Amino acid sequence: MGQLLQQLINGLTIGSFYALIALGYTMVYGVLKLINFAHGDLFMLGAYLGLVTLMGAVVNIGLSANLLILLLILLVVMAMVAGIGVVLERVAYRPLYRAGRLPPVISALGASIFIQNGVMLLYGARYRTYPEAFKAVVPDVVWTIGGARVTLIQLLMLAIALLLMTGLYFFVQYTRVGTAMRAVSLDHDTARLMGVDVYQIIRVVFLIGPGLGAAGGIMVGLYYGRIYFTLGWSYGLKAFTAAILGGIGNIPGAMVGGLLLGIIETLATGYISDAWKNAIAFFILVLILIVRPTGLLGERVAEKL
Amino acid sequence: MFRKTLGSLSLLLVIVLLGQVVACAPAKPAEPIKIGLQAPITGEYAYEGEGFVKVVDLVTDQINDAGGILGGRKIEIVKCDDVGKPDESSKCAQQLVSQGVKAVAGSYSSTCTEPASEIYNEAGILQITPSSTATRLSQKGFPRFFRVCFLDDRQALFAANFMKDKLAAKKIGIIHDNSTYAQGLAEHAKRYAEDAGVEVVIFDAINPEDTDFKPILTKIDGLGPDAVYFTGYHPQGGLLLKQSKELGAGFEWVMGNACNNPEMIEIAGLDAAKGCYITTEPLPKDIPGDVAKKFYDDFVAKYGESPDSIWWVMSGDALKVIVEAMEKSNSTDSEKMAEYLHTQFKDYPGVTGNIIGFDEKGDRLGTVHEAYIITDAGEFEMVK
Repeated sequence: MGQLLQQLINGLTIGSFYALIALGYTMVYGVLKLINFAHGDLFMLGAYLGLVTLMGAVVNIGLSANLLILLLILLVVMAMVAGIGVVLERVAYRPLYRAGRLPPVISALGASIFIQNGVMLLYGARYRTYPEAFKAVVPDVVWTIGGARVTLIQLLMLAIALLLMTGLYFFVQYTRVGTAMRAVSLDHDTARLMGVDVYQIIRVVFLIGPGLGAAGGIMVGLYYGRIYFTLGWSYGLKAFTAAILGGIGNIPGAMVGGLLLGIIETLATGYISDAWKNAIAFFILVLILIVRPTGLLGERVAEKL
Repeated sequence: MFRKTLGSLSLLLVIVLLGQVVACAPAKPAEPIKIGLQAPITGEYAYEGEGFVKVVDLVTDQINDAGGILGGRKIEIVKCDDVGKPDESSKCAQQLVSQGVKAVAGSYSSTCTEPASEIYNEAGILQITPSSTATRLSQKGFPRFFRVCFLDDRQALFAANFMKDKLAAKKIGIIHDNSTYAQGLAEHAKRYAEDAGVEVVIFDAINPEDTDFKPILTKIDGLGPDAVYFTGYHPQGGLLLKQSKELGAGFEWVMGNACNNPEMIEIAGLDAAKGCYITTEPLPKDIPGDVAKKFYDDFVAKYGESPDSIWWVMSGDALKVIVEAMEKSNSTDSEKMAEYLHTQFKDYPGVTGNIIGFDEKGDRLGTVHEAYIITDAGEFEMVK
C-alpha cells in the first residue's frame, strides 16, 4: 500500500513536468495546427539559461541563494525564452504559413536541431549540474504519509506547475486576449473579420508556450540537478505524447494527459518492468486513441470541406 | 566504341602502373604513419572521448619527440568522432579506412566498437579498443581485434564475490541500461551471484534517456535487497544515488566500472554519493609500475589536471601497443602486427600497468579489478 502511494507520488511529479511542457505543444497546435518540434528544445534552453543566470547571480555577483532570487531568475529566464520563442515564430514559421502545413513542420524540426546544436556548442557536450547551493534554498523537509515519502521540493514543484497551468486556463477562458486566442484557433479568417489581430495572437501564444516551457526547464534542473542538451528530445517526445493523449489543442487535456502518462509509466515500472515502461505506455496510448481518436478531452471537430 | 574503351582502359593501366612506380620509389622518410583514433569526442560520453584525445596526443608527442618509429617516421593520429552512437560509429570506421590508417585505437563503448569492428575486420585493419569490455566482442573470431581492457565477466565475478563476502549480502538487485556493455556485465553478475548462492530479487533495465528513476527505486526498495549492482554509466549512476537517498532507500549501492568517474559525485551530490562502492580497474593514481607513474606525472605536467578516468589511460596503452607491434614486427601491415601480438608480445610495461599478453581471441590476460568506496571527502578510495 505504501509502495503504491509512493509510486503515485512519483508518477505525479514526473507527470507534472510532462504536463507543463505539453501545454506549449498544445497551444501552438490549437492556434496554428502546427506541431512545434522546437518546443522541447526551448524547454531545454530554459534549463541551461536558468543554470547560467543562477551561476551568474550567485557566484559572480554574490547574491545569496534564496527563494526570492530564485523566483526572480525564474521570471527573467521565462521572459528570455519567451522572447526567443517570438523571434523563432517570426523567423522560422511566419514566412511559411501560406506554404501549407508540411513546410512549417520541417522548419520546426530544423529549429529544434539548430537550438540543440547551438546549446551543445555554447555550453559543451557534457552533462551540466545545478550546484547543490540552489537546492539548499528549499529546506530539506520530508513527510512520511502511509509509508510514502514526500519532500517539500516535490510539493513545491507540483504546486508551481499546477499554478501555472490553472493560471493559463483562466487566462484563456476569461480574458479578452484568451477569447481572441480561442477565436483564432477556430478559424483564422473569421477571427480576422471580427477584428482580431491574428499575428498578434500568434505572438502571444509564442510568448506563453516557450515561457512555460522555460519554467519547466529550470524546475527540472533544480529538481533533478542534471541537465543535458538532448533533454528536449526525451521530454519533448513524452510531453507531445501527453498532449495527444489528452486531446491536442485542448489545455486541460494537456494537464490530464501529462499527469496520466506520468502515472501510467510509473505503474508500469513498479509492477511490470522499467525496460518495458515505454512500450506499455505507448500501447495504452494507442488503445485510448482507438476508442477516442481525438484524445481524452479532445472535441470531435467536423471535417472542413 | 570498343577501341575507345580499350584506349581509356590502357590509359588507366598506365596511370595505375605509374602510381605503383611512384609508390615504390624510395619512400620519403618524413612520411608519417597514420593511426586512427575513434572516440566519442562529443555526445553522451564526451568526458571520456575528450580524455582519449588528450592522452593520445600526449603519447603521440612523446613518441614523435623521441624520434618516431620504424627508422624515424612520425606517427599521425587521424581522429574520428563517433558521438557514442552505433550508426555514427560505422561511418567513422569507413571514414578512417578510406583515409588509409594502418591501425585503429577505439572506440569507447562496446555499443560503438561492435559495428566498427566488423568494418575494420573486413578492411583487414588492426583494432585495439581501450575500454569496450563486452565479452562477445572477441567471440567473433576477428583475428586483428584486441583489447587492453579486461573482460566484463571477470569484473562480474569480482562484483558477485565482493557483495557476498565483503557486504555479506544475501539478496541483491541488478540493474543495467540495455547497452551492450551494461547488459553483458549484468548477466554475468547474475550468473556468478546465483552460483555463489546469492538471491537476485530484481533484474531490470533503466532507460538512460530518463531523468527520474524513483519509480524503479521504489520498486527495488520494496523488494528489500541488501545491495544493488548497477552496471550502466555514471550520468545515470549519479541520479540513481541521488534519488535513492531522497527516497530513503535502505540498501548499499555497488556500481560497475563505467561509474568510475568523479562526475558521478557532482551529479549525485556528495551527501548521496558517499558510501557507494565501485568495482573497477584501479584508478590512474593507484596503478603500480614506473611507466604508469611517470605517465601520470607527464599528464599532470602537460594539462595541469590529473587523468581521473582509467579509460583515458587505457587509450594511451591502446596506442602504445599498436606502436610496439609496428616496431617489433618491423611493418605497418596489420596482419604481421596481429601475429606479433598473438604470439610474441609479452610483459610489456604499459601506462596501465604490466600487460602480460593477449590470448588467442585478443583479450588482455590477467585481471586487476578492485573495489573502491566513495569517501566522506568525495574521494575514490580502494577498499582493502
